[in-house]
Amino acid sequence: MMRFAFFLGCVIPVKYPGFEKATREVMQALDIELVDLPFSCCPAPTNMKLAHYDSWLALAARNLCLAEEAGLPILAMCNGCINTLKEVNLILKQDVQRRQMVNEVLEGSGHQFKGTIEVKHLLDVLYKDIGLDRIAEKVRHPLTGIRIGCHYGCHLYRPPRLMYPDDLSEASSYVPVSMDLILSTLGATPTQYSRKFLCCGSALGTNIDAQPANEITREKLTQMKKHRIEAVAVACPSCFSQFDRGQMMLERKHHDGFGLPTLFISQLLGLAFGLDRANLGLGDHRISLNPILERI
Amino acid sequence: MIKSIWELFNKEDLFECYQCARCTGSCPAAMVLNAYGPREVLLRCLNLGQEAVVGDERIWYCTTCNVCEDRCPQEINIPELLTAIFNLAAQRGNLPEKIKFGVDMIAKTGRSLIVNDKVLKERQKLTLPALDPLNIDEIEGILKKTGLNEMIELS
Repeated sequence: MMRFAFFLGCVIPVKYPGFEKATREVMQALDIELVDLPFSCCPAPTNMKLAHYDSWLALAARNLCLAEEAGLPILAMCNGCINTLKEVNLILKQDVQRRQMVNEVLEGSGHQFKGTIEVKHLLDVLYKDIGLDRIAEKVRHPLTGIRIGCHYGCHLYRPPRLMYPDDLSEASSYVPVSMDLILSTLGATPTQYSRKFLCCGSALGTNIDAQPANEITREKLTQMKKHRIEAVAVACPSCFSQFDRGQMMLERKHHDGFGLPTLFISQLLGLAFGLDRANLGLGDHRISLNPILERI
Repeated sequence: MIKSIWELFNKEDLFECYQCARCTGSCPAAMVLNAYGPREVLLRCLNLGQEAVVGDERIWYCTTCNVCEDRCPQEINIPELLTAIFNLAAQRGNLPEKIKFGVDMIAKTGRSLIVNDKVLKERQKLTLPALDPLNIDEIEGILKKTGLNEMIELS
């Protein structure tokens, strides 16, 4: 049985606890053990890193140390968390000066960064560690015929130099495919659309101004509708909020009538596995899921 | 305290920029806000110096998507430059209230969002583990050593 230190982050356990529940249930169904540790905020690449780089490095290092001391790799389900933890893990493994600085800071609390663990996003644990075959075995209610548009979210894979250094093509570029392949395995029809790799706009909204951020989301939704996409799949709570809550705000302003349900990847897995729907956080949505739920 | 963004970003890398504007062309913020674009930030850094950018509130329109680095044909680490600018701007007091709130929350509780009774009840209903208060003395100790309080005026 694979074991991971479960990195909750701040947004999911507070705003979308249903996604956490869904993830725990799905991982249990796939024989993955999740261990809870007293992690703090990652801290986010959209706030602490911008305000004070060294504080960002040191707090992230403390989180990495907790997992190192438990001898466990980290599984995170938020793109912000994965961006910070993977980047800091790599920086501290490679940059001796920064590692020294951080270890001096951490000395008082008894931690030392050693660089002994890996950090993985839920999508990569599903796709690379568990594998599509084992996921396929669990499918009871395939999502047949549902046209789903994947939104991976920038912080999952950019910059690929830091997020996926081992998977770079010769052109140093990287295009994520894990979520599309997982959705195919669940029986859905992952559907391509223009602007698939455009940002959702979240950080602009949470940091400064929701209105222009929502206009970025609107561009994506417009393209999804053009390609007859019926639901959006995300792997990050900030992207989720941007598509779900953002769509509600957009509707008030533009009356576009998108009505595109957004689902967190664990929810889609849970639905396809036939898990108890009460455990999948299906009540956390502003945009109705009924058009999708009726078809599963 | 930092005195210059060039402590955090190698100025010579900026000389590689030939202002092709692929960064701005692919920037989601620039798509919706005409007043913003990474190419323009780079140009102002080069021609007018860092002081011309660190006081400008528009720098904060960045969504931190990192696509500018992806697209730059000169492989300039634009997000690293922007992070240096953000850090110095924050130190000078040019820091959006919402970011300040998040940083403040982390410094005081270790989490960027408030864990209230409503959250705890909701979690209990789902039989999720409680979100116990973190060892805040330890987190405060770390942030004291990194000098967060000297850098940014927190509430």
